[in-house]
Amino acid sequence: MMAMLLAFSSTVVAGETLVAQGKILGRSYHQQLYTQHKCAACHGVDKPSSRAPDNSCLKCHSVDKLAQQTARQGDELWQNPHNNLHYGKDVPCTECHGEHVVKQPLCKDCHTFKFSNFKE
Amino acid sequence: MNKIDFLTRRNFIKGLGATGVVFAAPSMATAIAADGIHWDEQVEMAIIGSGFAGLAAGIEAIKHGCKAVTIYEKMAVYGGNSAINGGLFAAPNTPLQQQKGINDSVDIMVADQLKSGRGVADEKLLRHIASHARDALQMTIDAGAEYYPYLQQLGGHSVPRTYQTKVSCGAGITQPLLHECRKVGVTLQNRSKFEGFILTKEGAVAGIRIRYPYYFEDENSGNIVNIRASKGVLVATGGFAQNVNLRMAQDPTLTAEVGCTNAKGATGEAMLEMFRLGAVPVHLAYIQSGPWASPDEGGFGYVSNYAIFNFPHSIAVNCLTGKRFMNEIADRKTRADAELACRDAAGKPLPPIMITSYAHAKEHPTCEKVLKYGVGWKFDSLQAIAKRFNIPLQPLQQQVDEYNAYVKAGDDKQFGKSMAKAKDMYIAAPYTVVRLWPKVHYCQGGVQVNANAEVLDSNTGKAIKGLYAAGEVCGGIHGVSRLGSCSIPECMVMGMTAARSMMGA
Ligand SMILES: Cc1cc2nc3c(=O)[nH]c(=O)nc-3n(C[C@H](O)[C@H](O)[C@H](O)COP(=O)(O)OP(=O)(O)OC[C@H]3O[C@@H](n4cnc5c(N)ncnc54)[C@H](O)[C@@H]3O)c2cc1C
Repeated sequence: MMAMLLAFSSTVVAGETLVAQGKILGRSYHQQLYTQHKCAACHGVDKPSSRAPDNSCLKCHSVDKLAQQTARQGDELWQNPHNNLHYGKDVPCTECHGEHVVKQPLCKDCHTFKFSNFKE
Repeated sequence: MNKIDFLTRRNFIKGLGATGVVFAAPSMATAIAADGIHWDEQVEMAIIGSGFAGLAAGIEAIKHGCKAVTIYEKMAVYGGNSAINGGLFAAPNTPLQQQKGINDSVDIMVADQLKSGRGVADEKLLRHIASHARDALQMTIDAGAEYYPYLQQLGGHSVPRTYQTKVSCGAGITQPLLHECRKVGVTLQNRSKFEGFILTKEGAVAGIRIRYPYYFEDENSGNIVNIRASKGVLVATGGFAQNVNLRMAQDPTLTAEVGCTNAKGATGEAMLEMFRLGAVPVHLAYIQSGPWASPDEGGFGYVSNYAIFNFPHSIAVNCLTGKRFMNEIADRKTRADAELACRDAAGKPLPPIMITSYAHAKEHPTCEKVLKYGVGWKFDSLQAIAKRFNIPLQPLQQQVDEYNAYVKAGDDKQFGKSMAKAKDMYIAAPYTVVRLWPKVHYCQGGVQVNANAEVLDSNTGKAIKGLYAAGEVCGGIHGVSRLGSCSIPECMVMGMTAARSMMGA
């Protein structure tokens, strides 16, 4: 609930993938889940009152594939967000991506790297 | 002291938690009784915190036959400060020292640390750690950690004895240790926040209460789980540099405005919980700031490792005067204090700069990063530096000439810096420059432990049964000021020690 409120009061403009899905924000490519009211797909229950478990995204997305897609070369090798220097492939997806809220990459806490394809 | 006293003193809340009650506020956290409690999980060894100390303990526990050990980590990611650290690891009598013909020993390393500790460090523990540092280094290498083929001489160390991971980061150690943990069968559980102890009637630690799944700073997230730990509990939760109230209670100058190098989870609540249980608080006010940090980036960033590598052959200059103001490789406290004294005419902070010959700076991979990400700059002349940082040119020019004469003579008449590592390394164009300003970095204080990693009780002076602590959560080992690269060996050795103690090895 808190997260939803935050999303609507946020002044940050969400990327084009994060759009209004009925009464809440969601990703355009997850639209089916919203039109069919399938909250349970991620949250496990139809009327969620808590966060989706960390492994929810992994039912459809593979970390290994994502890591390949975001691979970097040379001195930026370890700046791959899906396989990075500090945490390897262990960072839970929702640490950087919010399905219903705008988020920033975790790396930003300390670093100024650019992630031009980042989807909030 | 009788048992009744003991229990009242520890603010026992009998039976709470047995029903799986969710505690709303962290201030509720206190020990509860094991009597009649419902155990949700059972392990032999419960380790709280997944930094160097926790990871090393997990691996060592399995080595000594532990059948069920779980590391509980409150954050979403593993590794705490260890995973973002500089990867600098000091040890005496190492293969690299032998190869380079460097004469070092446990005694020399301990003597260096005692000096920086300014008379109040714990010699016995320092000696225990230095004596086993090489084994700890070996554990990391066995797990797959890779180090540069050279040693560095950090501030306050009398000889080069510091290894550095090839990725210039502690993650070059935590990642291999994490993989090793998984390989040998240590269970790891993130989003698991320790909230309190569960005690036997005799006051021994029988288990812990964990909030799971916990989302950082949402103190009501998750539920409480009671975990029984038959061989003991190791608290390896690191320091409290990110807890602004707590650090200001010790040192009011460390306000929220002062930068901090630490991971966000370094908030110290598990240490406070041990104090509630009766642990002895030691040296909480000794909170160290890193003199190699930069005001131009967040946290440790890139400049810190860059500056650590380059200080021995660089000069630090006060922008107001154009003069050096410290021994660039004095211990951390000496340097941080000297930097904080660099102020403009109105008394406002005026971060000093460090000037290095580009030819020397580029020997370390961080140089490229510092320039690439705009937190350090390259200049062709002293004029350009003077102009950019508004430094009086003539004194600056004089200072560089004077310093170069010290390099030639091998004797720093200005600040008595050891010039061994600066041999033939003159300050010459082109130059690289970074700005310096200290950031809150390390907590020398914490709970008192003995050389078995047992936590001591303030009333009895004896070990609190079932309770062990290792790493930055412990206090008093380093005294007033810890030498750089001496935390990794401490965390690893004491983590390994705790595991051996629990396994009766
Ligand atoms: C940026 C930086 C660079 C450094 N560089 C060096 C260096 O090069 N060499 C060196 O020797 N030292 C260095 N240090 C110091 C050293 O890294 C730390 O002292 C060390 O990592 C501490 O290890 P630890 O295992 O005690 O704690 P940490 O690595 O901090 O791990 C503690 C873990 O416990 C977790 N935790 C805390 N509270 C709870 C709770 N209630 N429940 C569950 N989990 C909890 C934390 O989230 C954290 O993950 C550096 C420190 C920093 C911050």
